[in-house]
Amino acid sequence: MALDGTDATVQDPLVIGGKTLTSRFFLGTGRYPNPYVQNEAIRISEAEVLTFAIRRINLDEPEDDAILHHLDFKPFTYLPNTSGASTAEEAVRIARMARASGLSDWIKVEISANERTLLPDPLETLRATEILASEGFTVLPYTSDDPILCKRLEEAGAAAVMPGGAPIGTGLGILNPYNLGLIVEEAKVPIIVDAGLGSAADVAQAMELGADGVLMNTPVAKAVDPVQMAYAMKLAIEAGRLSYLAGRIPKRKYATASSGYDEWKVKG
Amino acid sequence: MRLRINGKPADLEATVLIDVMRHYGLLDQLVVAEIDGRIIDRTDWEMMPLVEEMRIELVHFVGGG
Repeated sequence: MALDGTDATVQDPLVIGGKTLTSRFFLGTGRYPNPYVQNEAIRISEAEVLTFAIRRINLDEPEDDAILHHLDFKPFTYLPNTSGASTAEEAVRIARMARASGLSDWIKVEISANERTLLPDPLETLRATEILASEGFTVLPYTSDDPILCKRLEEAGAAAVMPGGAPIGTGLGILNPYNLGLIVEEAKVPIIVDAGLGSAADVAQAMELGADGVLMNTPVAKAVDPVQMAYAMKLAIEAGRLSYLAGRIPKRKYATASSGYDEWKVKG
Repeated sequence: MRLRINGKPADLEATVLIDVMRHYGLLDQLVVAEIDGRIIDRTDWEMMPLVEEMRIELVHFVGGG
């Protein structure tokens, strides 16, 4: 592995649904202070996959918030989500609408069962993943961090599986690193940690656990300086990935001297 | 024509779907339309006849994670 950052990402691409990505950063487009800051954050993040939501147009002010007006166009991969859905049927409906836009056939299945936690409904998520995969979508389900469930989603045709680190927007980090480690070990499709991360430390931890990428929105958009945070997250993803590939030392209870040469110590 | 657009009653001059788009100034925007639960491709907007009380959904992309 070359130590030059560019080489490192080019030599270690992430492939999802037949598409080769050089960035492992999936960035959300909600809640930035303004379009300028959003564009700068996207630019500096070097993210290639951007997420969106689908909503009814406000017909009283149809010009107001169509997100794509504000984006500097470059060849992004668009990942619309099905947020707002609480059943598989609603998610499938939103996914079909998203695809009909002609923008993308990637879909992030996001089905929330509880308003307070926004935790995903695992059964509905599995059902929607089966249906959408059979309809030819590239399906990336946002799901609970349960190893068996993640395996089931893979078997149902998910192109990547996206377990949450913690509930959306909480910034609590990875609540169950043990589970995430198991999910990564078992997976034959990429694992993207989606939701709940707060800082660069959380991101590096996810990547060191072997995650193939991370999806974030709130920790960047609501940071005091979103652009600076986007850059910090990008570096953390690269650092965590390289650390994972490089192979960390095992943890030990007691010290081992870093010099060695014990019989050559200067004493007495 | 009395229609139901995005869950609200709307009364406007329209005979085909593209009239609704023109009315709201949506022709050059990335909009997806659904009528009574069926997606109508943009290329069919001009030919899609409307009848009273049709349920029309007009959606677009907004920021999200």
